[in-house]
Amino acid sequence: MKEAWKNFKEGVWCDDINVSNFIKLNYTAYDGDSSFLKGPTLRTQREMARVNSLLVEEQKKGGVLDVDTSRVLTILSHGPGYVVDKDTDIIVGLQTDEPLKRGVSPFAGIRSSIQACNAYGYELSDKIKDEFIYRTTHNTGVFRAYTDTMRKARHAGILTGLPDAYARGRIIGDYRRIALYGMDFLIEQKQKDKDELSQKEYLDEETIHLLEDLAKQIEFMNQLKGLALSYGYDISKPATNAFEAIQWLYFGYLGAVKEQNGAANSIGRIAEFMDIYIERDLKAGTLTEEQAQELIDDLVIKLRLVRHLRTPEYNDLFAGDPVWVTLALAGITGEGKHMVSKTSYRVLQTLYNLGSSAEPNITVLWSEKLPEPFKKFCAKVSIDTDSIQYENDDVMRRMYGDDYAIACCVSAMKMGKQMQFFGARCNLAKILLMALNGGKDEIAGEQIAPEGPVFEEKVLDYDEVYTAYKKYLRWLARLYVNTMNIIHYMHDKYAYERLMMSLHDTDVERLMAFGVSGFSVAVDSLSAIKYAKVTPKKNEKGIITEFDVKGDFPKYGNDDDRVDLIGKDLVEYFYKELCKTPAYRGAKHTLSILTITSNVMYGRKTGSTPDGRKAGEPFAPGANPMHGRDSEGALASLNSVAKLNYDCCRDGISNTFSITPDALGRDDDNRVDNLVSMLDGYFEQDAHHLNVNVLNREKLIAAMNDPTLYPSLTIRVSGYAVNFNKLTRDKQEEVIARTFHKAM
Amino acid sequence: MADIHSFESLAAVDGEGIRFDIFFTGCPLKCVYCHNPDTRFGSGKDYTAEEVFNKAKRFKPYFRNGGGVTFSGGEPLLNAEFINELAPMLESENIGCCIDTSGSVKLNDSVKKAIDGADMVILDLKFHNPESYKKYTGGEFENFIETGDYCTKTGKRLWLRTVIVPGINDTKEDIDRYALLAKRFNFEKYELLPFHTMGFFKYENLGIENPLEGTPPLSPEKLTELRDYLNSII
Repeated sequence: MKEAWKNFKEGVWCDDINVSNFIKLNYTAYDGDSSFLKGPTLRTQREMARVNSLLVEEQKKGGVLDVDTSRVLTILSHGPGYVVDKDTDIIVGLQTDEPLKRGVSPFAGIRSSIQACNAYGYELSDKIKDEFIYRTTHNTGVFRAYTDTMRKARHAGILTGLPDAYARGRIIGDYRRIALYGMDFLIEQKQKDKDELSQKEYLDEETIHLLEDLAKQIEFMNQLKGLALSYGYDISKPATNAFEAIQWLYFGYLGAVKEQNGAANSIGRIAEFMDIYIERDLKAGTLTEEQAQELIDDLVIKLRLVRHLRTPEYNDLFAGDPVWVTLALAGITGEGKHMVSKTSYRVLQTLYNLGSSAEPNITVLWSEKLPEPFKKFCAKVSIDTDSIQYENDDVMRRMYGDDYAIACCVSAMKMGKQMQFFGARCNLAKILLMALNGGKDEIAGEQIAPEGPVFEEKVLDYDEVYTAYKKYLRWLARLYVNTMNIIHYMHDKYAYERLMMSLHDTDVERLMAFGVSGFSVAVDSLSAIKYAKVTPKKNEKGIITEFDVKGDFPKYGNDDDRVDLIGKDLVEYFYKELCKTPAYRGAKHTLSILTITSNVMYGRKTGSTPDGRKAGEPFAPGANPMHGRDSEGALASLNSVAKLNYDCCRDGISNTFSITPDALGRDDDNRVDNLVSMLDGYFEQDAHHLNVNVLNREKLIAAMNDPTLYPSLTIRVSGYAVNFNKLTRDKQEEVIARTFHKAM
Repeated sequence: MADIHSFESLAAVDGEGIRFDIFFTGCPLKCVYCHNPDTRFGSGKDYTAEEVFNKAKRFKPYFRNGGGVTFSGGEPLLNAEFINELAPMLESENIGCCIDTSGSVKLNDSVKKAIDGADMVILDLKFHNPESYKKYTGGEFENFIETGDYCTKTGKRLWLRTVIVPGINDTKEDIDRYALLAKRFNFEKYELLPFHTMGFFKYENLGIENPLEGTPPLSPEKLTELRDYLNSII
């Protein structure tokens, strides 16, 4: 056995890449409470002080501290950079040579890079512009292939936010492999795969594609070794201690965010892996608890500093400058043992040691079987910081096994074995209006979908409407899959994630993630048509733009099957339709009900709806019931969302929940107990995801009016956390308008 | 059938654990500080015990750490018959219930049975003497005493609550007298609640006179001071 693996329990992981097997054989489950945790060291505090002053400066400069416009950001583009200096930083590595200085990555679209520079008062250098005259970017490729209908659907806001002008992201490299095996072994394995593939008798298009992929991967794996060397570390061999394990793993992640500026750059399920190395060093007496915490603190500081340069249009979709350094932890093994380690606690502790923060996006994989003290600690962290989210391990494990992680907000994938083709979302509310208008856009009046009859100005018949709706959903599903096929064909061709994919198995399984927005608006609209009397009103051009609603109707969010089941059927139907059109590279179709912050933008692009929502008003985020319509309290609202079927929404069902402290319980202990009961009760019903905010609406209003009052106020929005002050005014208002569950 | 004003599926302060609150309409009292005057009038929404049971049952997954159903209002004991129909259904699902009452209903067999069937009672100790009780609530002090005594006699788990209103019952002398009165009951807990103005808009919406218009909410400091004092003498 290798010296680096001394005292590790041997298994199949020794011969083949199998991190999951390594973890399960070697991790130490921890059943105790948080009392062992340590505060920040003086060194950590010093480094954090520097970070905080940089963050203030960044905010003052409109959100971007500095941009290096002179060269393209890649793995080896910049020399070493430090937060404080070489001796003070423990875990080292920055994307550029200065903290928070952003690099330019034009591979997904040179136009976006130029616009992003301009938006913050910079000018992209002529050198880069010239270099890209002769280079096709992803964006150019996509628009060459787009059909007229795709362009129109995109423009009208039926299909929006697609990764056709920015990098797709949502791919998680298995960075743990670098620490466990060292780069040389990993390169060797990839070379072997390539050699084997070359032996095939007939090299078909997919094989040739893969051969080129592998060549690209190997090239970038070698570059990563170069990146580590520039900081003075040789990662060709396995890590020999906790520090190296964390540093090696971080180099992998750093290389990935230097090479790629995808929409979400998640880091995966790393806590329990790191814990094995920490435990070994603690036992050997070469590490103290204080030092262990310091390592985790320092890793997290580095993760908080990751930045990408974005356009204002991009920020409209994904507000608050997120990177989605999603870090999933805890969960249960397939054998039923919980995977909480002391490092699961240490990662959560960073929110106290370093202050609350949006990144990394800490995601607790919740199971009824998690140890009680850990559940309580999570609840306490939620109440204190509003910085973590919960996802149901008991439903995800059924599909993804016990070594999956979360990309972005709610997208599960097996570590190193699955990747995702991210696909933003389509607008379910708008397509309903289009169905009523015979395929015309209700705002511009343009014919977008195939022409059909326009509904008359008389009380709508539910069955007729639903039949027409289904017809247009079928049309949309086919269009959506084909659009995604073009996007991901081009992304693979022009902006392939070489390093991240090198940290996956070669025969990777691909998921194609579709999404819906306007879910609750569509559902309530259908309910209104079914249970009340809805009469459409046309404008002078004969387009239905308003609705007259007489009578009451059940609203999604009150645990009322009459309406909740309409929603359940709707997503099941749409998912089935999506699956009918094959996806690029044999990908499996998946679906999410997640809007991130684009619910505001989608609402802007959608006319008045039969549920009483006026033209331009925001949608509710994700799978949330519409603001203010859940009248029977928080749990009724949770029960409605819990009815949605994860089997057909396996890319996630996002629900954001805000409650005032007084409504959650009488005192701190009582609040913790009640939050744990709430999470257990929600997830027991096979619900998928919950963002938890415990705060006062008054505090948010005060923060909106005077951002200096709460500089690090973090809140959970759709599947991630943001610094409240980084949201634009309209998004702040939308967050405040959302249902707050409070005690009277 | 019972006329029900509304449901609150996440009530965390009206009893132990997470509670599903059922707010009945109708109340024999007209407390000056009432924050739910809208429950005095019928809502026109009638529910059968079975309908309410089916609703409550849906929240069973959240009822841990002693959580369950709380009957509130309005005055829930005006609906004692209904509660007596519903409670066994809840019991069949192992869902416990709590009655949040002013004790203002005359203690008859039906009310006794409702109390017997509950896991615990939260009793409002509104005023510490019959004159103030009559003046500020319009109700009979005697009914309240009988209800409290009955809970004590039957060994019912009992929490007491008093709303403290500035200028009406917010002195230490008041607390002394409340404590003295409370001692005749066998209670687990005695909570002081601050008078707040968040229910004022309801008076406006209903177009009825708000007897405490202009009264400020009780300050958190004052509440802490009185709470500490109460805890030191009981």
